[in-house]
Amino acid sequence: MRGSFPFRAAKVSLRGGTPPARSPWRGGGWPAAGIGLLLLFPLSSPDAFLLDVFTTGFLLAAFAASWDVVGGVSGQITLGHALPFGVAAYACALLTTLAGWPLPLAVAAAVLLAAAAGLGIGALSAPLAGPFVALLTLALGEIAHEAAVGHTFFSGPGGYAWGGEGGIPVALPWRDAAPFPSYYAALAFLCLASFGMLRFSRSGAGLILRAVEGSPITALASGVPVARFKRMAFAVGSAFAGAAGAGFVVHVGRATATDLSLELSFQAATFAAVGGRGTIVGPVVAALVLHVLFRALSLPPSARVLLYALTLLVVLRFFPGGVAGTARDLASRRAGKEGGRPPRPGGRNRNGDEAP
Amino acid sequence: MASPLPQVLLDGLFAGGTYALMAAGMALILGVVKVINLSHGAFFTLGAYVAYALAGRGVGSPLAAAPLAAVIAFAFGVFLGKSFVNPVRSHPFALPVGTLACALLFEQAAQLVWGPHPLSIEAGAPWIGPGGLVVRRWGAVAFLSSAALLGCLKRVLSSRPGLPLRLIAEDEEIAGSLGMDVEAIRYLTFGAACAMAAAAGALLSPSGAVTPTMGRAPLLLSLVVVIVAGMESVAAIFLLSIGLGVFGNACAWLLSPQWSYVALLAAVCLLLAARPAGIVATAGRRD
Repeated sequence: MRGSFPFRAAKVSLRGGTPPARSPWRGGGWPAAGIGLLLLFPLSSPDAFLLDVFTTGFLLAAFAASWDVVGGVSGQITLGHALPFGVAAYACALLTTLAGWPLPLAVAAAVLLAAAAGLGIGALSAPLAGPFVALLTLALGEIAHEAAVGHTFFSGPGGYAWGGEGGIPVALPWRDAAPFPSYYAALAFLCLASFGMLRFSRSGAGLILRAVEGSPITALASGVPVARFKRMAFAVGSAFAGAAGAGFVVHVGRATATDLSLELSFQAATFAAVGGRGTIVGPVVAALVLHVLFRALSLPPSARVLLYALTLLVVLRFFPGGVAGTARDLASRRAGKEGGRPPRPGGRNRNGDEAP
Repeated sequence: MASPLPQVLLDGLFAGGTYALMAAGMALILGVVKVINLSHGAFFTLGAYVAYALAGRGVGSPLAAAPLAAVIAFAFGVFLGKSFVNPVRSHPFALPVGTLACALLFEQAAQLVWGPHPLSIEAGAPWIGPGGLVVRRWGAVAFLSSAALLGCLKRVLSSRPGLPLRLIAEDEEIAGSLGMDVEAIRYLTFGAACAMAAAAGALLSPSGAVTPTMGRAPLLLSLVVVIVAGMESVAAIFLLSIGLGVFGNACAWLLSPQWSYVALLAAVCLLLAARPAGIVATAGRRD
């Protein structure tokens, strides 16, 4: 994204002066070109399956970016990020079918509920350090999953048993969602959500969260209420995850226990690791590419999860900062040789790699 | 038929005693390698599938399957420890996510090979004890072998050959400066701990259904044991595992099998919420 030549020259010439005001899309034209291509794609009359793969991919990409708000920007490694996603999905389904709420109201309530769930997870995990955050979030996610698998909801007069493995249907105001509006709605949602998350990650709060990730003790000593900011990171990330979950359930038409599964949480972490943690755009791109690639191979679901796990292991082993992160480090190292900003000696960069 | 309670307690005792073998492996990894290994449950599952495959070829005894499962798991564990865990040890992100990836990788591979459906192993006729108490043969064998192996582990750890392990757990820099190959001891310990998990899985395989995700509950049980009992005392690990085994079995009997897993999950959450500082101190210093 970063580092085309004129941009770097401008940065060097401005060194010491006031930094230029940056738009959140500081990657220049590439995201715009990508969006343009995605907008054009349905016009090439692809088949309905591919269109559906992309629509799901957009929602998954927004979910991956919301993982990045929690796990990348603020460094709280969550392995239960499917919880807000699934909570919103189930809330959407239950509120529309059992309570008869109109869809927009149910979606809004679902997003709020997901944010509240995130606030709760954040409050529980704020005192914990390192791998214990991963452990706690994993356990919470699995509890939610087991509850969804084991609980059966009953509808009133018909007496249908809902819940369990079969999931709960959503009452939608339309009969059959047309593929084109779904595609464009999901794409618009992805653009809006990633824009919002980029704004958040580059705002003052995002900067403080990155400081908390770098060194909680230093942040605490500088007067940052660390626990409050951790809660905020979880709440914001979970709200976006909930929005993605609500969008997903509206697209698919049914909330199932897989929306809460460990595999889904793990997928989000995989996308973030491959795309580069803390970049928001990286996980979005990684999610789109990997999802479309693996779905287009038409493998059984378990083979797909297997491929995700393999990809992640290879990436973690050889590019611990993510593919994009390692490429960026290489680029900045080269820039350092050319007389740009020298890398910090002996320190660690924000991906945890040893600086050269 | 008398009250089922003694039966529940006895089966819980057998299962918990065998889980202790796996939990001790988890404690070894936490102490010597100083990481939390989320793929520990996958090795348990591996052991169970090895026992199932052997049972299909006429070797019915889990006692025969356990050594084979242990050797296979040792090989995979050494590979995992040397090629993945050691290089990424200092990355707070790569370690939990990577070991979870290993676990999911194995779960999905097992699902592709053996299918998602529960499989069962014929375990032979049980002994009928006093008062209609059913003493399952595999259970007694598993409990006794686990206790024997843990006794050996305790002896090894407290004698001269176990000294490097204890020294690395205490201070790896001093161990390195004394000429010990810290990295090699780490991955060998990792492999041995994985072998212990697989042996436990093979020994316990006739107790219930063999499924790809069967390792998740024992993994959580080991985590709870390690968090509460620490890594110093093998006896504490053994007793706590038995307690949790009985507790899990009672939950499964009173509510439903699924609830013992949820109870373990809730225990992890409560423990982490109740004493975060104590657990962080237990896990030792990273770097």
